[in-house]
Amino acid sequence: MLEARLDTANLFKSAVDAIKDLVQDCNFDCNDSGIALQAMDNSHVALVSMMLKAEAFSPFRCDRNIALGVNLTSLTKVLRAAGRDDTLTLKAEDAPDVLNLVFEATAQDRISEYDLKLMDIDQEHLGIPDTEYAATISMPSAEFKRITTDLMAMSESVTIEATKDGVKFSSTGDIGNGSITLRQHTPVDKPNETVEIELSEPVALTFSLKYLTNFCKAQPLSNQVKLCLSAEVPLMVEYGLEGGSYLRFYLAPKIGDEE
Amino acid sequence: MARTRSKGGPASTSADKTASTTAKAASTSTYTLPAESTNPPKLFVLPKNTSSSARIITLENPRYGNPTRYLVCPETGSFYEFTKAAPPNKSTPRSWLLSSEKSEKEPALESQTIQSPDLYLATPYDPLFLLLPALFKSSSNSKSDNQQRQYLSLDDYLDLIPNTDRHFSEILTLPNSRIEKVLEARLASVCDLVEMGDDKMYRPNESKLSTIILSKASKMAENLPPSMEEKFIKKALEAPVMGVVKDQPPPPPPPPPTTSTSSPEETASPSASESQSTVTTSSGTTPSTAVTTPATEEAPEPAFAPAITASPATISLQRLRTSLNFILSSYLPPFLSKTVLSSLPSETFTELEEYLTKLSKLRTEAAASRNIDINGGKRARDEDDDERLEKKRKMEQEEKVKKANTSRGVKQLAKVNTAGMMKLSAFFKKA
Repeated sequence: MLEARLDTANLFKSAVDAIKDLVQDCNFDCNDSGIALQAMDNSHVALVSMMLKAEAFSPFRCDRNIALGVNLTSLTKVLRAAGRDDTLTLKAEDAPDVLNLVFEATAQDRISEYDLKLMDIDQEHLGIPDTEYAATISMPSAEFKRITTDLMAMSESVTIEATKDGVKFSSTGDIGNGSITLRQHTPVDKPNETVEIELSEPVALTFSLKYLTNFCKAQPLSNQVKLCLSAEVPLMVEYGLEGGSYLRFYLAPKIGDEE
Repeated sequence: MARTRSKGGPASTSADKTASTTAKAASTSTYTLPAESTNPPKLFVLPKNTSSSARIITLENPRYGNPTRYLVCPETGSFYEFTKAAPPNKSTPRSWLLSSEKSEKEPALESQTIQSPDLYLATPYDPLFLLLPALFKSSSNSKSDNQQRQYLSLDDYLDLIPNTDRHFSEILTLPNSRIEKVLEARLASVCDLVEMGDDKMYRPNESKLSTIILSKASKMAENLPPSMEEKFIKKALEAPVMGVVKDQPPPPPPPPPTTSTSSPEETASPSASESQSTVTTSSGTTPSTAVTTPATEEAPEPAFAPAITASPATISLQRLRTSLNFILSSYLPPFLSKTVLSSLPSETFTELEEYLTKLSKLRTEAAASRNIDINGGKRARDEDDDERLEKKRKMEQEEKVKKANTSRGVKQLAKVNTAGMMKLSAFFKKA
């Protein structure tokens, strides 16, 4: 029996919104520590990992481990019915056929309830080790989104080059090339605009911009985004949430010369 | 060597050699290439023993009623019909090149070419056939009632023979003509005879006629040309290999559509041919004298018997019937063919008939079973197809649902060029 209540549906909506553009169907693994999700895209070059800890919910109750196989598009459709500020309650039996969603608009005393059919999904689960990254860049999520969008005009891929001085996003395409460089920047009055670079060694990697722009759909989840890079390992893009919850994306770097 | 005007007319023929006779239609110049003759010569093979008074005359064909040329030799009283031997393959151009050896008797024929490759063979012809229409015409409607026919003299009958060009009467009146005698003899063979003083009066007798026809047929059956043997005997009685039918341990040969097709000229209806069948088999019991051969002649034939059940007797019966049908359909007036067939003793061909019906039954069974096989296979295949279609439909539906449940982002990511990107499973081990 699962029962998890979120004060604002917005968090869940945004998370699902971001994931649904990467994977089609996936399992929500529920246990007493929270709701976790891990899925790869069809090409298996990107991975999304979500952890909504029990603390994010009030209340949270999960007696057993339950896997909720969900088609994310369908879930998105249902979640569209939820207002941003509605409280969202997820409920499921122990061996569920459906996921029950209840949206409550407290202001209007309006309660909507949906049952979403579940499906059996065979999914391989990858163990992601804790990695010491060569570079960890924290930056405003909106800035990252803008960079990826801007560079999409130039090329399909972006090279992220982290040095002591800053981080440089550059793209070279048919029409020319372009680059954006961010320097460390810690405004006291606007903590959301902080750009922080932790660097153990310089690193430069190339990634598919299309995937990155997709990741950026999680931007509403968090003001800050963390990019973690190391040579020859997947880039991690993390949207941190309150209470240790997170939504992380992993993307394999492009190795070898670009076309 | 006689020259024959190919174009009809009482030609000045006296063919005394089997050699070919040509007609020189146009005069030729020695020096220039002669113009093509508008009436080119034709090549005939004529019998040796005709006298110089032999003529080619035009008479009405007893079968078809159209004017047809016959070679008649008054002195021997023999009739010949012309058979045109055409080249088997019309697409290949052929022509005759003629040259003659020097002969003391006649001036050497000028060498020449004839464009038409046709060859006309004069083959002996029973003048009885010429008489038949005249004999039986009068009574064709009254059903073969011998009593109702009148006794007539030979001359009366001869008068009935169509004589539009007067060729026939001319031939009769030639000096030394034996034709009338021959005709009388032939007439007598199919007629009842009454003598009134010097006059002999004849009345056609159908049973006599059928006896004669049957004897002709059995004579012909003894020596069928190979092409006919192949087509109408072997093929007709042959049983195709029936590997398909397993539930019929002794697979009797299904005959190819023999019964009626056995000869294209066959005018006989199946029932009629059934009735003819008696003559041969039961010839011993049949009073008809003419049916000479049947059982005995059949015996030596079995070598041809197809591996299956067609007995030698059956084969020779088939031969006889083929011959009979040939004669009936090419020489007798149509109305007479039926009369002859119906006047044959009814058990003549019973054995053959039995065989054929058995075969046709088996053949239909075989065909049916083959059809079942085919249909069965087809059905099985159809079912397979159905299943496959069903599956396909399901898959398509699932795909549709899947597509409908796929977000735009996922679809767009599918187009991303991921070359050079390693799979994440290369970095992260399976948990």
